[in-house]
Amino acid sequence: MPQIISMKAEYLISLSFLLTFAVITNAFYVKKQFYPSVVYLTKSSTSLAVLYAQAFVFAILFGKFIQRIFLGPLRAIETEHLYDRAWFSITETCLAFTVFRDDFSPRFVALFAVLLFLKCFHWLLEDRVDYMEQSPVLGPIFHTRVIGLLSVLSILDYLFISSAYMHTIAKGASVQIVFGFEYAILLVSVITTATKYILHSIEIRAGEQWENKGVFMLYSDLILGLFRLTLYMIFIIVMMKIHTFPLFAIRPMFIAMRAFRKSCNDVLESRRAIRNLNTMYPDLTAEELGNATDTTCIICREEMQVQQSIKRLTCQHIFHKNCLRSWFQRQQTCPICRTTVLRPVPARATAAAAAAAAAPPVNAQPPAASQSQAQIPVSTARFAQPPSHFASNSSTSSTSSSTPINTAPQTSPPNFNTMGAGVFPQMPFNSFPMVLPPFAFPPPPLPPANFTGMSEETIRAMEGAELSHVQARIQCLRNVRTLLDASMIQMQQYMNIVLTQSNMENGTRLLSNLKNDTDQVLTSSDENNSRNNVLNPINENDADVIRRRRLEHYTQRLSPSTTNQENNNDS
Amino acid sequence: MAGSALRRLIAEYKQLTNNPPDGVLAGPISDENFFEWEALITGPNGTPFEFGVFATRLHFPSDYPLSPPKMKFVSEIFHPNVYPDGRVCISILHAPGDDPMGYETSAERWSPVQSIEKILLSVVSLLAGKHLLMLIMDVYALFFIEPNEASPANVDAAKMFRENREKFDETAKRSVRKTLGL
Repeated sequence: MPQIISMKAEYLISLSFLLTFAVITNAFYVKKQFYPSVVYLTKSSTSLAVLYAQAFVFAILFGKFIQRIFLGPLRAIETEHLYDRAWFSITETCLAFTVFRDDFSPRFVALFAVLLFLKCFHWLLEDRVDYMEQSPVLGPIFHTRVIGLLSVLSILDYLFISSAYMHTIAKGASVQIVFGFEYAILLVSVITTATKYILHSIEIRAGEQWENKGVFMLYSDLILGLFRLTLYMIFIIVMMKIHTFPLFAIRPMFIAMRAFRKSCNDVLESRRAIRNLNTMYPDLTAEELGNATDTTCIICREEMQVQQSIKRLTCQHIFHKNCLRSWFQRQQTCPICRTTVLRPVPARATAAAAAAAAAPPVNAQPPAASQSQAQIPVSTARFAQPPSHFASNSSTSSTSSSTPINTAPQTSPPNFNTMGAGVFPQMPFNSFPMVLPPFAFPPPPLPPANFTGMSEETIRAMEGAELSHVQARIQCLRNVRTLLDASMIQMQQYMNIVLTQSNMENGTRLLSNLKNDTDQVLTSSDENNSRNNVLNPINENDADVIRRRRLEHYTQRLSPSTTNQENNNDS
Repeated sequence: MAGSALRRLIAEYKQLTNNPPDGVLAGPISDENFFEWEALITGPNGTPFEFGVFATRLHFPSDYPLSPPKMKFVSEIFHPNVYPDGRVCISILHAPGDDPMGYETSAERWSPVQSIEKILLSVVSLLAGKHLLMLIMDVYALFFIEPNEASPANVDAAKMFRENREKFDETAKRSVRKTLGL
């Protein structure tokens, strides 16, 4: 097997040679003749083991030789891949041995060894062709080697397939079916590698970026992946019919399936990206490219040429169409500003849905249609309730006061109650002397939690509606204020009236009291005068008592007018 | 001429050699393979990593500008954001969708706009700017600057950084001496 021969490996190889030499010499020494010694070697299990090891060493050396011819030194990554794959393959071969334990023979083992040997070169070739994309310098030797190995491998695969086919036709189903399928799959992989090689070569020949290469690669991957998968399917079905379930084919088949699904996905994604690019963004014209300040495509870091197709996204960033396509296969965002560029419609819809969910009360009233009159009575009902109560309260209180200012009819309160149900009372408001609030204004909608994801138009529409709502609200508040002012004035007037009325009442009562008092005083004074003649000092006393009582009586009144009257009266 | 990844790497290499950023030196390991780079990062002044020259390896995928490269410190370095095996943990090296924990927003993830130069400068600021910020904001910085504080790349380094700054600085300086072969 082709490997970098380390010191340890060299020791092992020389040890193997020494052992083989020892075993063979021992056989000849014991048996003396050629034929018996060969028989002895094949009968002795120790000798056989040594010889198998020697065969393995020879195989490695031969592989190394072939590798020198066709591949040259291997890169670290190639060796790593080779080891990984070889281990899996050996495990699978061991599993295959369990299925075909009846046919187990040295020839059978040798055939598997050859298969493994060839597989290794297939893998190496694949890696080598992938390397084409990564290497800046590729000489003619590289191409000769790759083409040579490609043809040798494909011929060998073909020969093995045909021999397996002949064998199966001639002798019926046997282990040869496995080999036939294995080589068929290897042939498919050789074809895949060849396609890749051709595509890479064309690109190298073209000298600059070949725009459609990616698409060709995707489709060839898809088709050959399908081939491989079908082969595995048929193989498994055939094996299940003839022998048993081929456990050793599960892993490669799973890998083939995954690869096929991936290439399917890639093709679909790429197609969608291209379609979106073509439908949503027009190609940049030469003039526009001339006007652009930075003409470096940020993805490939190359200057954009007029003859290349260039796309400008909504965020004004420009890229090569192909660079964008390959990026969009991974992510649908602008590489520079990360704005979502593809599929903007569902994005907006989800944003709107989120906004609607954030503000459920507004749900019944879409922001754009806020001006529609049909919805207003329903939605205003709740809002209109408190002012209507206020109006009815004020009107009832003012009517009870029966002031001349209030001209509202007594039937207004029941009308206000019905307004809550949506019927608008025209009459009482018209007859009301003050400016009435127009309750028909639309209620202000609750603003959504965030505006992200909303388009310009919806925001503007919302803003417009919002403005009108705010204006209406301010108007309403002003009306409420005037209403309050009016009721304040009403109350003041009522208070004044009550005050003057009570004053007048007080005045009349005082007058009558005074009249009684003066009458009393007059009569008593008459009596006193009549008595005065008899008892003067007593009269004097009486007059004092009366005066004191009167003073007490007047102080109880606490009214200046009455005191004045009293004073006048007194005087 | 070959694949777009290679051409972009060559373009970036040209750019880096013509206008090399301060404290950073980078280039492919061999002329035959532009997908393996070596970068030397000098420790920023005023940090425990000062005077250190740290060797790193960058491995580029075959679809390079679309997928981020992998970066690894070859020199031993003791830092909360560098795994003990040398892998660097910064968000711009993570492809979008890599982060199942949702620590990082996609805005700070890899995109073709990023470049080798930006990666290297981010690593320099990881060694320097972050350090200064940490001095100011201490623990909070760990949450804000590097959201992976809950699971930092190097748990020991993060812990020591928070709890025993002097020891951390000492360890960092030791790693610097090691890189210089002292």
